[in-house]
Amino acid sequence: MAERKQKYERRPVLDSAVADLLSNMEQKQIEAQLPRRVREKKARERIKIQSRREQRATYDLPPALRQRVKEMAEQERLPASQLVTLALLRFLQDYQGGKIDLADYKQSSHSPRYDWNLSLPDELLAVLSQKQRRRSTPKLLKEDS
Amino acid sequence: MKIIAFANQKGGVGKTTTAINLAHGLALLGRRVLLVDLDPQGHVAFGLGLEKTPGLYQLICLETPIERVVRTARANLDILPSDKRTEKVKRQITLSDFRENILDDLLRSTHYDVILLDMAPSLDVLHINGLVASDWVIIPTRLDALAVDGVKEILLTMGEVAQRGHIFQGYGVLPTFFDRTTRETLVQFKEIVRAFNTRVWPPIPQDTRVREAAAFGKTLWEYSPESPAMTGFSENKIHLGGYRQILERVMEVLNG
Repeated sequence: MAERKQKYERRPVLDSAVADLLSNMEQKQIEAQLPRRVREKKARERIKIQSRREQRATYDLPPALRQRVKEMAEQERLPASQLVTLALLRFLQDYQGGKIDLADYKQSSHSPRYDWNLSLPDELLAVLSQKQRRRSTPKLLKEDS
Repeated sequence: MKIIAFANQKGGVGKTTTAINLAHGLALLGRRVLLVDLDPQGHVAFGLGLEKTPGLYQLICLETPIERVVRTARANLDILPSDKRTEKVKRQITLSDFRENILDDLLRSTHYDVILLDMAPSLDVLHINGLVASDWVIIPTRLDALAVDGVKEILLTMGEVAQRGHIFQGYGVLPTFFDRTTRETLVQFKEIVRAFNTRVWPPIPQDTRVREAAAFGKTLWEYSPESPAMTGFSENKIHLGGYRQILERVMEVLNG
């Protein structure tokens, strides 16, 4: 019993801010000891990651839609993010042009956070089960032609 | 009512600055706060732009009612000031019966939501009175070997007070003057995290604004509310440390 207790001893949890700060400082100290070229590369990577942070967003999507976007991106040899950006821009264009009326999809919500939920009609969801139509990709190199 | 002491037997670690800024922060949140200066240097009044007066001496030696010796420093914030006559208080307490509970008895009869005690960097009867009166102790420390040793010393003293039957609800070690660019800071920070673990609170960055605020008799909430000492270190848009975050920790202490 004593052996088991020793094995599963609970680890104390640091104050989250203290843990974050300590880990950042340790990371920076490790980096400071690396060769100059590696250090500069890491600094560039850090700046790149930081600059992209503004572009990041997290939304919940139906798994089938996510899979469809992934497949389409692979087929078209495009980054999935750019494909989603195009889709959203086209949606906003249609929404602002009055082609889409959200009232058609709205249903009252029981959540204290939202007044409405969107109920997606079956014919729209059916898009996900339709077979993907292949389009010819533009040729990039002369040799391809 | 909760009584929180700011103590470290090492001087110059930021006890008074921390006490003043947290007291004003709590007052701004609507808590009725009394900040008691137990240090004969009388820097609580000075730091808040008031004259040093012998409030503690009048309360304990002359038995003047507490309502007549406190001074209103800001809305919701009263102070019980000190000056060099506080030295006489120590002698008075030494000659009294039940001497360790004098301060506790006087403070518990007041109407404040929270009382903060700015302790002197010494080990005497007034210091013991402060510890006996307190429910919680916040131990500000610089990250140098001498100040960290001061933390150990105050914990030993708290242990002795606890052995006499006093129950502390908790304590926190607050790193101050935190300069994260030096290797020594990291070494000492790791050391106190290893020694005190969950008791270590997020640090207060080294910040010249703190000294400037004291010179103008203003708190950081008034002089520089967005300074690093207030907002902490910014890491990926998250703020780590600083008096704003410490105020949140103090509120957690007050709310149990």
